Amino acid sequence: MSYAVETRGLRRLFGAAVALDSIDLSVRAGEVRGLLGPNGAGKTTLCKILSTVLLPSAGTALVLGHDVRRDTQAVKQSIGVVFGGDRGLYGRLNPKQNLRLWGALYGLHGRSLSRRVDELLDRVGLTARAGDRVDGFSRGMKQRLHLARGLVGDPRVLILDEPTTGMDPVAARDFRALVGELRAEGRSVLLTTHDMAEAEAVCDEVTLIDNGRLLVTDTPARLADSLSVPERVEADDVPSPVVAQIRELPEVTAVRLSDGLLTVDATSDAGVRRVLSCLIDGGVTRVRTVRPSLEEVYLHLIGDRGMSVST
Amino acid sequence: MRLFWSAFRFQAALAVRTPDTAHVLVTAPLYTIVFLAISEHAGRADLAPYSVLAPVLMSLWSLALLTASDLISRERSRGTLEAMVATPASFAVVLVGRISAVTTVSLVSFVESWLVAYLLFGRLVHVDHPVTLVCCLVLSALAMAGTASTISALYVLLPTARTVQNTLTYPFYLLGGILVPVSFLPVWIQPFSKLVFLSWSADLLRSSLSPQPVVDELFRLSAIAVLGAAGCALGAFLIRRILRRVRLTGTLARV
Repeated sequence: MSYAVETRGLRRLFGAAVALDSIDLSVRAGEVRGLLGPNGAGKTTLCKILSTVLLPSAGTALVLGHDVRRDTQAVKQSIGVVFGGDRGLYGRLNPKQNLRLWGALYGLHGRSLSRRVDELLDRVGLTARAGDRVDGFSRGMKQRLHLARGLVGDPRVLILDEPTTGMDPVAARDFRALVGELRAEGRSVLLTTHDMAEAEAVCDEVTLIDNGRLLVTDTPARLADSLSVPERVEADDVPSPVVAQIRELPEVTAVRLSDGLLTVDATSDAGVRRVLSCLIDGGVTRVRTVRPSLEEVYLHLIGDRGMSVST
Repeated sequence: MRLFWSAFRFQAALAVRTPDTAHVLVTAPLYTIVFLAISEHAGRADLAPYSVLAPVLMSLWSLALLTASDLISRERSRGTLEAMVATPASFAVVLVGRISAVTTVSLVSFVESWLVAYLLFGRLVHVDHPVTLVCCLVLSALAMAGTASTISALYVLLPTARTVQNTLTYPFYLLGGILVPVSFLPVWIQPFSKLVFLSWSADLLRSSLSPQPVVDELFRLSAIAVLGAAGCALGAFLIRRILRRVRLTGTLARV
């Protein structure tokens, strides 16, 4: 199988601190892979190694079969890098001037560069603002320009580090559609994000990383299934006696009541069946079963550290 | 070469929108006033060409060094340094192209100095060899950019390389014979000045303002080109080595 990104025993130290520890990661060609983890987990370090600006301390990292240490130039020609946030653009210039520079850095010149820049501005919806200074743009517009910059070299592999930071919901939806288009074009995408909904929406598989170690890689759906809560039951307007009855069931692990919505977690399918029986017997008809979200999987595996950074 | 011109055009567009790049256009006329006032007071009208040329070369060299350092500092703080290094383009070519844009655009300071001499002091500095003057100015601007790229390399390694930048200004003014001709300097210093492209630039520019025929013009232009290319090669070598080092240490984006 050909991999867009493949790392084996990848390790990166900063002094005595271990930023990445024995990372074995394989991203198939044409796959959209999410990389999820808290601040300091090692996501950005991994992105920097794959984009050749940081050397690994040990192990190998390949992009389309090219070693980031030995075949640096081939890796650079294969990848596009997008870092999130406001930074990374020349605010005093317009989007066209910004993209023309980055296109030239990827070897484009003349008409092919002009055509590429126009195509990308159209693709990210900035054609109407092509002549305006970038420092007057909203964060979402800047982020779209970042994406265009990442695509200007027509890369087969795209590394997106927190690409939707600051995007409004409409722009984030458009971004997801754009990632879908990139997948359809056969490009591979490695996407770091904190946004679970985004990861669920756009990623074929997600990898959870913490303290420099990979915890698990799977599809969002299978990850949700792997939680100890096989199913969750939600119901509206449940009478108090029925709620009390459900709380007494041995298979029930959690019962939450918020704004008239009852949420019940059970440890087994049998428990879910008993909860459903109680609800129906109690005259409740607005009932549904749902899977745990990716966010819950994330919190379950990594833990809820609030605002603290992993060490 | 196409990459060089792309970087050149980009920086030229950025420079005209960046006020601090224009400081050379303010300092050069002020230096001209100071130097001309001294030479006029001493009754040495023959030194007027020195007083017009010295501020131009001083300002350009100082601007080349400032740009070489600022480019790296600003790319770092803007968050574009890593993305730029991650592209297939030669970072050294991009840097030299961008510094060249600033030094070349700033050649307009020569016109300012010339006008200051004429309008404020009534001194008409005659350009007897305009082709030589233009060739020498453009070549000097490129040589400055190439040599100043060594400073960019040091800034990639050390964000606090300001001291090195400062120590490269006045020794170059001195060895370049910009204000005081090299022949007036102590004898033991004079051989070193021949290794500094600025000394060839200053001499040839003064010759271009003199009614005497320019002697060995091509040889002197070649000396500027060769010494500028040597500075450029040193800068490219240092940039390659230092980029390899910061990839290892992980300090490329360190502010």
